[in-house]
Amino acid sequence: MAITSDPEVGVNPKPGDTEAEIEGTADAGDGEEADNDETEEEEEEEEPSASGREKFNRALIRLSEGPVRIRVHDVIIRGNGKTKKALIEAEVLDAFRSASSMQELLRAAGLANARLRQLDIFESVTIVLDSGSSELPNTANVIIDIVEVKNPLSGDLVVYTKPEPLELVVHIVNQARYRSFEGSLKLKNLFGYGDIWDASGAYEFDGTSEISLGVSLPRFRIIPAPLTTRVLLLSQDWLKFSSYKEHLLGLSVGLISTRKHELTYNLTWCSLLDPSSIPSKSIRSQLGHSLLSSIRYSCKIDHRDSKVRPTRGYAFSSTSQIAGLGPDNRLIQFLRQDFDLRGAIPLGFYNAALNFGVTAGAVMPWAGFTNSSTPMCERFYMGSHSSPVCKLGGPASLFSFKQRGLGPTDMQRVISSKRIEDKDAASSGGDASGSIASQNRDAVGGDLAVTAFADLSFDLPLKVFRESGVHGHMFINVGNLIKVSEELANFPFHRFLDTFRSSAGVGIVIPTRLFRMEINYCYLLKQSEHDHGKTGIQFSLSTS
Amino acid sequence: MDDERVEDAQEIVLVARKGGFGLPTACPVCLPVYCYLRFAKVNFKLRIDRSNPDSDHIPYVEYGDYVALNNEKGGVLEILNEENIIQLDSELSKDCFSDWVSTKVMISTWLAEAVQYELWVACDSSIADYIYFSDLPWAIGKVLHWNQSRAVKQLHGITKLNVTEKEEEIYRKANLAYNALSAKLGNEEFFFEERPTSVDALFLAHAAFVINALPETSLLRSSLVKYANLTRFVETFKGDMLEASCSSSQTASPFEASSSSVPRTKKSKQSPKPKPKKRERTEEEKSFRRRAKYFIAAQVVSVLIFLTVLGGMGDFGVDDDDNDGLAYDD
Repeated sequence: MAITSDPEVGVNPKPGDTEAEIEGTADAGDGEEADNDETEEEEEEEEPSASGREKFNRALIRLSEGPVRIRVHDVIIRGNGKTKKALIEAEVLDAFRSASSMQELLRAAGLANARLRQLDIFESVTIVLDSGSSELPNTANVIIDIVEVKNPLSGDLVVYTKPEPLELVVHIVNQARYRSFEGSLKLKNLFGYGDIWDASGAYEFDGTSEISLGVSLPRFRIIPAPLTTRVLLLSQDWLKFSSYKEHLLGLSVGLISTRKHELTYNLTWCSLLDPSSIPSKSIRSQLGHSLLSSIRYSCKIDHRDSKVRPTRGYAFSSTSQIAGLGPDNRLIQFLRQDFDLRGAIPLGFYNAALNFGVTAGAVMPWAGFTNSSTPMCERFYMGSHSSPVCKLGGPASLFSFKQRGLGPTDMQRVISSKRIEDKDAASSGGDASGSIASQNRDAVGGDLAVTAFADLSFDLPLKVFRESGVHGHMFINVGNLIKVSEELANFPFHRFLDTFRSSAGVGIVIPTRLFRMEINYCYLLKQSEHDHGKTGIQFSLSTS
Repeated sequence: MDDERVEDAQEIVLVARKGGFGLPTACPVCLPVYCYLRFAKVNFKLRIDRSNPDSDHIPYVEYGDYVALNNEKGGVLEILNEENIIQLDSELSKDCFSDWVSTKVMISTWLAEAVQYELWVACDSSIADYIYFSDLPWAIGKVLHWNQSRAVKQLHGITKLNVTEKEEEIYRKANLAYNALSAKLGNEEFFFEERPTSVDALFLAHAAFVINALPETSLLRSSLVKYANLTRFVETFKGDMLEASCSSSQTASPFEASSSSVPRTKKSKQSPKPKPKKRERTEEEKSFRRRAKYFIAAQVVSVLIFLTVLGGMGDFGVDDDDNDGLAYDD
């Protein structure tokens, strides 16, 4: 039987080999009858293809009747010029050796095919199940033909136009667009261990830039888990929101990476800079260098029927992070925990569904927590227009609020009137009225964040919208973000409940293959004194 | 800026780098500001910043909602003077103004350059490490130290080829400056008009650092101690200005960096931080640190159990319900 790498083909036995592989022993106890059957089957191998098809059909019927006992005698790998044989064997041997029937063997072949394709280093993978030697009855040989990629180097360059949330307030239309450039290079299987090397860079006009280099191995020595290592240089500009710039130089090692579990070690040098000289006292006290050595474990379970428009199921995510691992007690030390719970219930009309979710996160220093605060780069910041429906991303999104638009703030530095006059005189155009500069505030983040939402999605009446997946939704969301590390002993529970922000709205969702686009009218229900919330039309893009 | 703003209850806070070598702040850039405030007899608090060794905005002075950063408009002292916060140099007579300016420039350039050279090039790295990097993780400290040394060399045009000539020039200027200052001071208590000015603050800070922090083999230190009146000047005010108790609040860095490590070199004077504060912190955090270690150990053990015993590695990336389009008929 030949199993190609094309997932649409499925499993198709070769007609010529049908008798040898499939019509083996039907039962475990019929040893002699199986031998006789095999002899007859060998004589029939040369029948024309028409009868071969009949045999194939009979074989399928036979397979559906019950287990056909067979075992794998040998696994032959061909075509691996560069790829180490041990790598391929490690991916497939266990599955084949555990197969004791034809049905299990077919399943194992499919599994092996998928695993080898997942390595992402082969052009094609073909698995043939051949009959074993005549001296060894009830056996099969597995032949794996691989075609390695001819050109291991690939790359792409993408220019995104990511519109800033479109805010249409009654009188003013304000639209800002940020272009970003992203490029990546990938080198596959350089050393034959399934290693994939990649380099990527991204730049956005708001000042954020990122360069990263990474290598991933499908397995490392005896540990079967994929191992990824990444070196990252990231520069983020938070001048507009918090009056500082952030530079991160980090090493990330993915120790465990499965669909549900992920364990990562991070070593990051974090530098907070102040090129503007206007940050608040809270920000000023956080400027400088720090080293983060942490382990992060995340568990994600997503049993929703769709990641773009879920109508049924639930999802749960938990992320734990411990920082300060190392002999040096000058490392950043904190504990961080995020929970994310989503649910979707179908309502049975107009394809409507009720999505709801709650997200919570807390971070606190674990050494000297009574008289120290959490590092700025690890705090929670809330306020963005990305939809909370799809992504399990922690407590960050709240419609109607700008990025870092809610939560604790601190007043920026006051500049004296005399220096304003001098500055205006030097720039020869300013207002030398002698007034003190208007006082903006810096978002300083918080230690405890909670958000919750409810979203009712429904089909739109027009057929063209229904066919393209465009649908409408109504939502309400609430959230709060506070600092607690300095007042843990007297946690202001009532104040925390009283200061929840909320917004509601209605909109249209346009799902695409890559992301979910929404055009919403958001109405701000409640905000606190220094928040940046606004009622109006907002545009958002979110990925799952 | 109104004077009443200072006279108000708004406190003045000086944020500077850590102390050591018998000095409230061992950084030669921060110490002049400290001395200036002390000479002006202003009540202020000293707050230590431990995570910004390479930033030029330190030292800075917070007075209420206002801040005077060192990287703006001539530095903290200039801003304090111009904003009428603290004016030590007010009412300086016109006769000595030019002399005062040239003396101040000489201290701010020639002597400051000499101290920079000693700290980052000539002496071993232990002094600079202690002052600037002892509260940062080792790796960051090493990288920043190397970067700062390179920057100082670039600033002064020092290369491997001309290091000897540059060194001679720097020490020659420093000697000239000491000679001039000694002549100017004579037997007086202060340099100008028998009262403290910013020149006194600048020189006291410079001389106190050179005598206390630099090793005895330092050429700069040897040059300074040859002038008895300059040494007497330091000894006279060191007790009042630098060793008198001053209130110091919590550190500016929120990460509670470890207590300062004592420099390793035997030639350097050592001045550990006050021990009682350290003992209190240890008593408070002992049990919590123990619990934290148990917690981390439990996390590591659980991960190891997951890796070995539970055997969840069998179907990496491919689950039976994986929607990859391959269908099997049982």
